[in-house]
Amino acid sequence: MNSLSIDKLREIVGDENIRDNKADLYVYGSDASVHEAMPQVIVRPLNIEHVQAIMRYANSERIPVIPRGSGSGMCGQVVPVMGGIILDMRGMNRILEINPQDGYCRVEPGVVDDDLNRALKPYGVFYPPTPASSVIATIGGEIANNASGGRSVKYGAARDAILAVKVVMANGEYLSFGSTTRVSASGYPIERLMVGSEGTLAVIVEAAMRFVPIPKLRCLGIAKFNVLSEAGDAIADIMGSGCQPSMLELIDKIAIIAANKAAKLGLPEVEAILLFEADGMTKDVIDADMARIQAICEKHNCFGMESSYDEKERTRIWAARAKLFPSLSKYDERLASTSLADDMAVPFSKMAATADKIHEVADKHGLVMTAYGHCGAGCMHTKILMDTDKDFQWEAAREAVAEIYDFVRSVGGTTSAEHGIGLSKAAAFKKEKAASLDLMRAIKKAFDPNNILNPGKLMDGPDDWVHATNLRYQTTKAEIQ
Amino acid sequence: MTELTRLEKWRGALNKCIRCGYCYEHCPIYKSTGWEIDSPRGKLVLLYGMLSGELEPSDYIANKIFECFHCNRCQKACSSGVPIQDVYNDARAFLLESGFDVVGTTSLTDHDVCARCLNCVRMCKHEARSFVDGKIVTDRLKCQSCGSCLDICPEKGVSIRTGYGTNPNELIDQVQSYFTDPDNPDAKAVVFTCGYSSYPGLQSSRYDKFEISKEYKILVTACSGRLKSTTVLESLERGAWGVLICCCPEDECEHGGTPRVKARMKTLTNTLERIDISPKRLQVVEVPQGNPKKFTDSAQVFMDEIRGLGPIV
Repeated sequence: MNSLSIDKLREIVGDENIRDNKADLYVYGSDASVHEAMPQVIVRPLNIEHVQAIMRYANSERIPVIPRGSGSGMCGQVVPVMGGIILDMRGMNRILEINPQDGYCRVEPGVVDDDLNRALKPYGVFYPPTPASSVIATIGGEIANNASGGRSVKYGAARDAILAVKVVMANGEYLSFGSTTRVSASGYPIERLMVGSEGTLAVIVEAAMRFVPIPKLRCLGIAKFNVLSEAGDAIADIMGSGCQPSMLELIDKIAIIAANKAAKLGLPEVEAILLFEADGMTKDVIDADMARIQAICEKHNCFGMESSYDEKERTRIWAARAKLFPSLSKYDERLASTSLADDMAVPFSKMAATADKIHEVADKHGLVMTAYGHCGAGCMHTKILMDTDKDFQWEAAREAVAEIYDFVRSVGGTTSAEHGIGLSKAAAFKKEKAASLDLMRAIKKAFDPNNILNPGKLMDGPDDWVHATNLRYQTTKAEIQ
Repeated sequence: MTELTRLEKWRGALNKCIRCGYCYEHCPIYKSTGWEIDSPRGKLVLLYGMLSGELEPSDYIANKIFECFHCNRCQKACSSGVPIQDVYNDARAFLLESGFDVVGTTSLTDHDVCARCLNCVRMCKHEARSFVDGKIVTDRLKCQSCGSCLDICPEKGVSIRTGYGTNPNELIDQVQSYFTDPDNPDAKAVVFTCGYSSYPGLQSSRYDKFEISKEYKILVTACSGRLKSTTVLESLERGAWGVLICCCPEDECEHGGTPRVKARMKTLTNTLERIDISPKRLQVVEVPQGNPKKFTDSAQVFMDEIRGLGPIV
């Protein structure tokens, strides 16, 4: 273990911004993933100078530093596998500027996504990446993981919204990348390199993002299917038709049942439903898009099509979709929902096959898995529902995760659509990116020669996620390890 | 029942918690500190740690588990269906049985000051206070930390050690700093809101130009019934053009606070009127839980009226 001096850190941020009680360390040792590990101290910087001083100290002593937002990541991105300092960025939580004329906003990394959108609303604009966890997710975390959400099908992910970032490097240097102008042609777009870097390159201390106008009208439709793959095929056809839905979500039967139990939605418990939305400034355009989507769904044997411009109804259904992740624990009293094989991206044409494959793998291993996601953006989610007290279920999960990602690669997909890699997807990520791992490591070294920033993640993540850390499910600790 | 038996039965429920953290937005204590350990998720993780043997029960953990205003919003919002308050209750019982002399946010009585009038015993909706061997005793498992006993005590002999901004002196400090902030010349009003019904506004970010916080300051009081007339008067004295109080509808108030605050503010309004202060400057509005729109709309109507009245001269 390194020679961390908490007194040194106390001098930098003050006693009120330090936590080193074992109970606090334990709480900060996990996120929404299956992993846990103990940090040595929690530090809450309040400004850039704090971050610089912390990094200078940590770099000189070779102490790992893990920047953390709200800890809503599902893959263990902020789990401190090598101990060190958890940098709780929620102390830097100011919205610094909203500039409607130049079309950007500037925020500190600890600003919560929903808060930003609440502040943007009076200007008639919104920040679109908005993941389902927007009620808790911080902008810093969203950038670090290239978050996206329901409306990314039309408006893109964090990487599409980012204009500029200010960072503190591993050695404490304070640098700016990018420009708040709408275009910027030359040189390496380092600000975009920060997106998806999962805290391994630098500490983001400020970000400037573009926003888009809030459309005057939104119409939400629901199409029901008796065959999951037909819903998948409908997605491919919709996206290939030239339509531009503002949302296109697949929800399979398992997810429907869970959402109904959690939110009392009363959705029909069919094999799959598609939720689709069109938005715009005029009703004619939206109606035309909705009609085209509906026609395609009908071609794929959907039934019970409904649509509504009513904001209350749209909000009710979307709120339930946003809470689907925790709702899955309600599917079966005996099973807990685990964040495993949690997300992936596949070509639209492979959506149906991927959904089927997920269920095939689940059946093969005696697990319950669900297929849902922002499929219009190419994103597919699943979770593994299992009895976490059973050792053999973890072994089954390990095999299932590997098989799912083998399949994803075989159809030209990628390991993460929007949740990131962290620990639990590192093995699949390394297989997929085998040709560029050395280059990624060289980039990492250029930014962080002493490997102190969130070490052991992404390309340096474990090959065996089951044994990489303690699992947060206490009953498995003794048995598996 | 001893040791961890009380917690063991919640092992499955704790496995169900997917640790999404969506409970944050509902917890006034987390919003007050921003530390993970003060969130419902953080507390469940602590219980997890004790069950798994990774954490030893300690005074620090015990007090954290007893720091809760019992608004129950986290449980209502939990899509994973974790019965958070039931889990907490058993954890608290276990911690007391284990000998931890915890305080948390439960109410304390200063026996040197207590006049033994038993008002607090009679008015506690949760039967958390009793008179034993000549002293008032708080049942720490029953106390909901609503603060009504603080309000009712004529001798100021009841306190909540950690108020997370809801204690009367903390409220006044926040009012003072709001009206003396040189960067906010637009400060006009204070909105005291019951933590059980409405706690709108930003989750945990700060934005100086946010249209809600610019002209009025939202302060959470736990149960609005504990809001004192003196706190309202001090707010007016320190620069507020008006004070809005948001409380639960009477039939939803679990602590009996709504009738009290209404009666108290009616008396205060009459008094203010006698010294030519418009009754419109002090209003009470009922806001049901989970209805932030009602809160925002009420505040907007109130602010329109206040702007029309101008400052108190």
